[in-house]
This record gives sequence, C-alpha cells and structure tokens, in this order.
Amino acid sequence: MAKKRERFEVIKDILQVIRGSRKIKPTRLLYASNLSPQMFKSYIDELLEKRFIQSETDEKGKKLFFITKKGNDFLEQYQIIDNFIKNFGL
Amino acid sequence: MDLIGFYNLLLDNRGVIKVLYGLLIVAICLIIVSKTHKLFHLSLHQGIRYLRNAFLFFGIAFFIRYLIAAYGFFYPTSANFYLLTKSLFEFFIIMGGFFLLYSLLWKKFESEKNPKYSSLFNFNILAFYLMALLIVIGDYLFDTYSLMFFSQILLFIFISIISSINYRRGEGRHKFLKFYFIAMMLSLAAWILNAVSALLLNWDIGIMINIYIINMIIFLLFLYGVIKAIKK
Repeated sequence: MAKKRERFEVIKDILQVIRGSRKIKPTRLLYASNLSPQMFKSYIDELLEKRFIQSETDEKGKKLFFITKKGNDFLEQYQIIDNFIKNFGL
Repeated sequence: MDLIGFYNLLLDNRGVIKVLYGLLIVAICLIIVSKTHKLFHLSLHQGIRYLRNAFLFFGIAFFIRYLIAAYGFFYPTSANFYLLTKSLFEFFIIMGGFFLLYSLLWKKFESEKNPKYSSLFNFNILAFYLMALLIVIGDYLFDTYSLMFFSQILLFIFISIISSINYRRGEGRHKFLKFYFIAMMLSLAAWILNAVSALLLNWDIGIMINIYIINMIIFLLFLYGVIKAIKK
C-alpha cells in the first residue's frame, strides 16, 4: 500500500503541478493533485491565504491558478526543508 | 596555577562567567529562532514551528536568569527580585522543554490537514502552560527548585527515548538524529547534575561549571544541526 502523503508533500505536489502548467484550471489541478474535493479546497484556500499561489480569471471567465514567488521559493527550498524535518525527527 | 587557585579564580568571577554563559546561550537561541522562523514561514510545517518556540522559550529563560538577574550577581537585591526572576526563569525553561517534546509528538495530537492557527495559544499548549504554572507555584511556595528538576528529568528521559527511536529509524540517512539523541542524553545528564548540585551540594561551583559546559555543548550541537541542515 502506498504511504500516505504528508501535508508538506501534498503542498509540494500541488505547487509542482501548478508550476509545470504555468496556469491551471481548478478541475485539472484537482485531478492532478489526487485529493478529495474537500481536501483539495482546504489546501487551495490555505495556499491562497499564505500567498503561495494566486488566482486570476481568463477571457472566458474561468478561474486559473498560478504560482507566486513565495511558492517558487518553497519548491526550491523543499529539499532543504525536508532534510531539516527528517534530521530533527519533526 | 594549581587546581585550588583555578577554583578560587572561578569563584571570584562567577558573576562574569554566568553573564558570558547567558549571553552565549541567548545568542545561539536567537540564531536558531531566526532560522527556524524563516523555515516555518516557507514550509508551514508545525513541527518546525514548535521547535522554534522551544528555543524562543529557552532563550527568554536564559535571558531572565543570566542577564536580567545578572544584576543580582553583582549587587544586593531584594527577595522579591530573586523570587520573580527565579519563577519566570522556571516557567520559560519548563515551557521550552514542553515545546521541544511537543515538536516531536505534535502529529499524534494535531491533524496535519487542519493545523492550529496559533502555536503559542491553543488547547494542547494550554495544558503545558497549566503544568508549568503548577510547577512554578509549587516551587515558589516551598522556595525550592525541586519540582522543576524532577519534572525536567522526567521530561528529558521521555525525549531521550523518543529521540533514540527516531535515531534508530533514520539511522544512516539523517545524520543529525544521532546528535539530537546525544544532545538529549546530555540534557538529561545536565538536569540530574543540576538537581544533585542544588539539592545536595549547595550549588557546588565545580559542578555548576561542568553543567554550563554541557549546556553550551547542547546548544552548540543544535546550532550546528540547524545550520548544517539548511545549508544548500
């Protein structure tokens, strides 16, 4: 059985998908993130609140997410943070 | 200089030694708090948040005990000044220990999906505040340090066990886990020595100097771990 992803890893996975697509629709992101709609919403709300991602509306009125500088910083520092958490048993 | 001469030199300068010791520990805590604070804001990881709080409280405790109370090392002070700084020191050092323990156990008590809004004021931490207050009040009423010593010895036995399990689980892959375990064993030794020195030997200066050295090693180990882990 696959190991349950930690919250920290889920955030990384979501941000990686968004960065890979540059701009992505919520439905596509939901499929790619492999989360339940309820969990997905709570993660997205938090990422928006903490300004890891932002949203905009395209010409058809559809919502799109894109990654911010803070989100990019998180991905670049992910290995360091992961290393820190594991080394301190957190 | 013979051993007795050296001992007398330490005795004559104990105030200065305490202030220098306090300054060093407070500086180390400040660096650790600053680094972990940045890491927390980047990662939103609750464990890092509680580890940061632990060193924040340790830093405040040492600031009170060795820098604010330093006045009492050089000039006569009132009993109230002594009791106030003693009680505040106890409260913050005990809370630092609780935060350190909780940084290792938080996943068992909190949902990763719904992180606590505040890491300083939530119901889980409230229980620690209450325990710390009870210990401080007990020691205040009996004008002793016994409750703090016994609670900290128990706490560090517990943290040593957890860190030894973490070390065995992550052996080879995460090198600092070994140093973490060593630091916790040293902390336990320091608290036991502290209790023996305070309760049986009237704060023997020789033992106290050894405790200062052990504590400096512990804090330097953590500083090394933090800097090494975040180095690119």
